[in-house]
Formats: sequence, C-alpha cells, structure tokens
Amino acid sequence: MSNDRKILHIDMDAFYASVEQRDNPELRGKPLVVGGGSNRGVVAAASYEARRFGIRSAMPIRDAMRRCPELLRVPPRMAHYQGVSQQIFEIFRTYSPLVEGLSLDEAFLDVSDSRSLFGSENSIALRIKNQIRSVTELTASVGVAPNKLLAKIASDLEKPDGLVVITHENIHSILDPLPVRVIPGVGRETFAKLAKFHIYTIADLRNASRRDLTSVFGRFAERMRQRASGIDDRPVVASRDEKSISAEETYDQDLSDVVVMNRELLRLAEKTAARLRSRKLVAGTIQVKIREADFTTYTRQRSIHPPSCSTDQLFQMAKQLLAAWLAEHPEARIRLLGVGGSELAADGQRDLFASLPETGKDDVDQAVDRIRERFGALAVGRARTLDRS
Amino acid sequence: MKLVAAREALLKPLQAVIGVVERRQTMPILANVLMVAKNDKLSITATDLEVELVATTTADVQNGGEVTVPGRKLLDICRALPDGAEINISQSGEKVLVKSGRSKFSLTTLPAAEFPTVEDINAGQALELPQETLARLLEKTHFSMAQQDVRYYLNGLLLETGKKFLRAVATDGHRLALCQAELPGGKLPEQQVIVPRKGVLELQRLMSGEGSLNLELGSNHIRIQLDGIRFTSKLIDGRFPEYERVIPQDTSNSLSADRQLFRAALQRTAILSNEKYRGIRLTIQENAVVLQAHNPEQEEAEEELEVSYGGAEIEIGFNVNYLLDALGAIESEQVSLALVDGNSSCLLREPGNDDCKYVVMPMRL
Repeated sequence: MSNDRKILHIDMDAFYASVEQRDNPELRGKPLVVGGGSNRGVVAAASYEARRFGIRSAMPIRDAMRRCPELLRVPPRMAHYQGVSQQIFEIFRTYSPLVEGLSLDEAFLDVSDSRSLFGSENSIALRIKNQIRSVTELTASVGVAPNKLLAKIASDLEKPDGLVVITHENIHSILDPLPVRVIPGVGRETFAKLAKFHIYTIADLRNASRRDLTSVFGRFAERMRQRASGIDDRPVVASRDEKSISAEETYDQDLSDVVVMNRELLRLAEKTAARLRSRKLVAGTIQVKIREADFTTYTRQRSIHPPSCSTDQLFQMAKQLLAAWLAEHPEARIRLLGVGGSELAADGQRDLFASLPETGKDDVDQAVDRIRERFGALAVGRARTLDRS
Repeated sequence: MKLVAAREALLKPLQAVIGVVERRQTMPILANVLMVAKNDKLSITATDLEVELVATTTADVQNGGEVTVPGRKLLDICRALPDGAEINISQSGEKVLVKSGRSKFSLTTLPAAEFPTVEDINAGQALELPQETLARLLEKTHFSMAQQDVRYYLNGLLLETGKKFLRAVATDGHRLALCQAELPGGKLPEQQVIVPRKGVLELQRLMSGEGSLNLELGSNHIRIQLDGIRFTSKLIDGRFPEYERVIPQDTSNSLSADRQLFRAALQRTAILSNEKYRGIRLTIQENAVVLQAHNPEQEEAEEELEVSYGGAEIEIGFNVNYLLDALGAIESEQVSLALVDGNSSCLLREPGNDDCKYVVMPMRL
C-alpha cells in the first residue's frame, strides 16, 4: 500500500431529512424525522433541528415524539432518495473510478491518482462539495485523510457542511483528544469496558498497556492500537455492484398469525423481486429479517440455485426461512419483516422452461412489471396480498 | 444379540451406509444404525428418512437380535482397530459392548422397534439390468440436477421407462442432460419417477459398475438391490417439466468440432471469464469459432478454433461450465452443436447418436 494515499469520506448531512426539507419549504428549519408513518416505526433520519432534541436515527418514533412533541414526521420516499443518491455518486465518479459506496448517502473515494487531473485532494474535496450543492441543493461533510479510518473520523468532526483535512502532520493533534467512541468498532459495550481501565480518549487508547488492551479486545488488541495511531491499510474497493437489495416493513400491530405473515412476506418478496428485475439482477442468497416485539432482531438466509429475481421463488424461500424460524419461536410476535436478496449477479442466463406454461411464471412477473411501470404500483397485484380481514 | 465378526466384515458395510447417517440430528435415533443379527448374517441399516441403506455381511451369530447404536462411533471404533482384528459385539442391558483384543467399548443403544425402516415399496415394476448401465446413465446426467432449487422437482433426477428404454434426465432450468439405454427384453411400461439429488449421489457412490442390479419402481419409492447393499429412496412428489418440448428438434444448422480441442479452448478462455457467472462469448463463423471472455478486472481472453460449419454467422453467450460439463460427458472424438440463433438453446451430442443429448440455454452478454 502506498504511503501517500489520499482518501475522501463524503457523508451527506441528514440526507433523507434534508431532501424532504429541500423539496418542501414548509419543513425547513423545523424538527423533522423521516420514518415509518405510524407511532411504531423507527427514525430513518432526523433533521439537525430534531437532533437538538437528542433525536437520532434508529430511535423508535414514539421515543422521538416524547422528546419533541411538535416533531414533524414524513414517510420515507426511498425511490426518490435513490435518485438523488445517483446524482451524487455520478459526481463522485467524475473524480475517481475508486468509489466505495457505504450507503445511499455515504462513500469513500480514493483520489490518490486524480490529483494530476483535478488538483490537490483538498481542492477536489471542495469541488465535490460545491458540485453537490449546485446539483442537489444539499450539503455534504467531507473528510480528507491518508486512509479510510481517518477520512471517516474527519468527515464527522465538523458536521454539517464540514471539511476536515487530516495529514501526517496533524494526525495526533486531531486524534488524541477525541473520545474512543469515534473509532468504528468501539460501541457502547466496548466503551464501558475501556472506561474501567480509564481509557477515554484515543490518546489513552494508544498509550494503554498491552495487558489492558488484550483484556478488552482479545486478539484484536494490536489492531485497535494501530487504529488509535491512525493506521489503516484497507483499500477503497470500487463497489460498482450493489451488495444487496431488500424491502422491509414495520407493522402498526404485531403480527402473530402465520397467514398474515406469509401475506406480508409475499408483498415484500414482490417488492424486492421487482427491484432486482428493474436492475436486471438476480440474487443468489435470499434472507428474511424478523424483529420481535421486544426489538430482538433475527436474520435467516439461504442460497438459491439458480440465482433468481422471480417473485414466486423469492417468496417460497422466504416462507421456508420464516417457517423454520417460527418453529424455534412458536409464540413470536413480530413487529418488522424484511425480505432481501444478496450475492447479486447480472441476470444473463436464460431459462429453458420460461416458455412452458406450467413452469414459466417469469412471464407473469414481467407482465406485472410492465403494467406497474405504466399505471403505478397499485394497478395490479397478487390476490393473496389483499387484506381480506 | 451376540456375534463375532472380522473387522473388515464390519467396516465395509458401515462405510457403505454411513453417508446417510444424519449429522444434524433431527431425531436422535437417526444418528444410529440398526443392527439385525440372524442366521450368520448381520444387516446394518442407516436412514435419513429420505434414503435408506441396508448393507449385509456375514458374521458368527451366537445369539440373534436387533438393536441400534451410534453409527459414526461404531464406524470410528472399527476403523481404529488394527487390520485383521476380530470384533465381539454383544448386547448387555441398555448397552452394546464392543470388544477386540484388549480394547473394550460400551455404546448407548436405542430400541430397534423405534428405528424407521421402509418395508414393502409396492413396486409397480421390477427390472434387472447391468450395474454398468445405470451407473453410466447417472454419470452422464447427474451434473445437470438442480440444487436447492425452489422448483423442488428439479432437485433430483428423472428416471423414465417406456418402449425398450430406461432414460435419465436432469435439468436445473439452465441446461438439461438426457441419456438413455436400451434394455434387453420386451417393452417396458411407461413410468416416471424423480429420485432426489441426495439419493442419486449416494447411489453413485455405492455402485461398483460391475455385476447386475435389481431396480424396483414404486409410486413413492425406488429400491435398488446390488451386491450386498439395498438402496431405497423416497421419490420427489412432483411433476417433472415436459422436457421433450425444450430439446431442439431442428438440427440442420450444426457445427462439428474436435471435442478435446474444443474443451481445452473453452477451459483456457474460461480462466478470464467472470468467476460468478462464467459468461463466454462464441462467434461462430464459417469453419471457425472465436471464443472470448472477460472479467470485471477488464482482463480478456480470446481464442480461435477450427471447426466444420457452413451456416450463417451466430454470436452467442454461454455459461462456460455448462458447455464443459456436457463436453466432459460426451465420449466421442467429434462433437456436434446444433444452433438456431443467439437467443435459442443449443444441442450438443455425439454426431449421429441420439442416446445422449445436452441442451444448454444461452446467456445474454
């Protein structure tokens, strides 16, 4: 790994919430969360006004409302955010082919070899920020550093609309006073363990005794010390392909009836399969996500051969996985279900039996997709996804 | 139960049946093997409720009886004893004692009556045929079976009788392999059964390819008796697709190539195909095929192969593994590929021989 890498970490500021405030002037300047349309959803994103009340993403909406009764809620428009995300990623790719997307609104860029074309890493960072602002009217915070770890830490230091540059010269003056929590991998539990050894800041961590570190991190002790010294060799891996595609839903009332669960699974499988098909992808692994009423979350997955984007095949597999899970958790009350596909590949392989009526269900999927494309998602659906209650 | 047997006389049947002894124990007794001693014969049965194997061996039976013991442990014990060892097995209360020389083992048991076995399979027809025939049919088709496909009826192999033929067909929806053999004797009744993948692989492991076997086809089971081993498998309860409709009938536009040269060229080109979906492009021109592959790293392979072809130029993409599997199963020096266009399936076979057919669907590249 070259010693002279220049890595950018770009993180959109309160992305979903900012998009909503941009699109609707009435929401601007007000505490706002994007998240499930009911009291039972969780916060997907909180505006900076809402964050002042201590509201964070992944917090249940109910808790958020308690903290801020006048909180505005907007249901998420994922397809819309995806569109904005594409605009942003297009900007990234004009500066480097090495773009590693972490989510819709966050990416690493390796601009080490872009400097001869676009100037210094700092001016690339500024140009990207400006371009994001002029194309999307949104702001991003950027960290510039010799590696991913430091770039990620840097982008978070002066949010929103920040630009922080960490160089070999200022590494220690910037890192040392920061709390250990800023290091990815140091969560609440680890933080508590470290506190027992009076390790609070990155400087404490770097200077801690080997014995203390080993008792907290086990065999990762040296790696954590390296992190505290700002060392990180991980390359930026261009993620041209999405890693997974999924759909999930939080329910207003906990589900306990298998028939209803399966109906919901079919609905989710249909969404996921349609997303796969619209991207001309097939999934080699199908997973279901299950969250119980007490927030315990499970995922179960299995590979399918051949990889598929067929609603029916995704549904069948999801149903099997859920049934197996239910066998272990017979009394379960479920508040969230999700169906996803990963191990994605281009859907190039043709099917021998696609033209035979009894096996050629793919034709149904394609017909449904075409109708929905013209008339909208509600124009046609499977009878079994209809709520008969 | 009390018997004495040579280590080798126990090892062979245990090794034969151990493949179906459950590792993940859904029912504790499935980790056991059933031992039945009677008239100087010891039979050892293992089952995973889908496939049942019964292996019979000779033993000096002093007291007849039946009991079940942990299969893997018994096998490991026999394997670990020295060559030529004599093994005493006797039941003592709830335990089975295994003694040999100065070694003594005491194994837990479960009642033989609780061990699930398949007795009569109500066979609709029974055939006797050379082992070599069935072994060959499976060998030439098994690789096209689906694996954990949600179309559960593809996760196995179709055995079909009719006219004078026994036919094996396997398909995963992307490619299909068909191979048939003419059986001596008269016309056979028409019957289709789907043997699950696990059963097919287990059966292949058991067949030596020599001697003959008895094949019984029931409506829910298939049973095969071969040297000292009885194989019984549940059938997949489903309808196999109408496979004949996807086998190209018009073979007028065909190319013919040296099979080994074609295979070697594909193997070389495949090195730089995408590891995940293995796409390879064939450009078929007058008396030549150009093979091309590239991967996400933008590395490229290209090779030209001399063939005999006089039709229109066709550009077509395939998963190279499917072509290689078919070319590996065909034995003739030349191979014939019948093609229609870049979107239609391709038929590979030995020129002039319709006993084995391989159909491969193309990929969009």
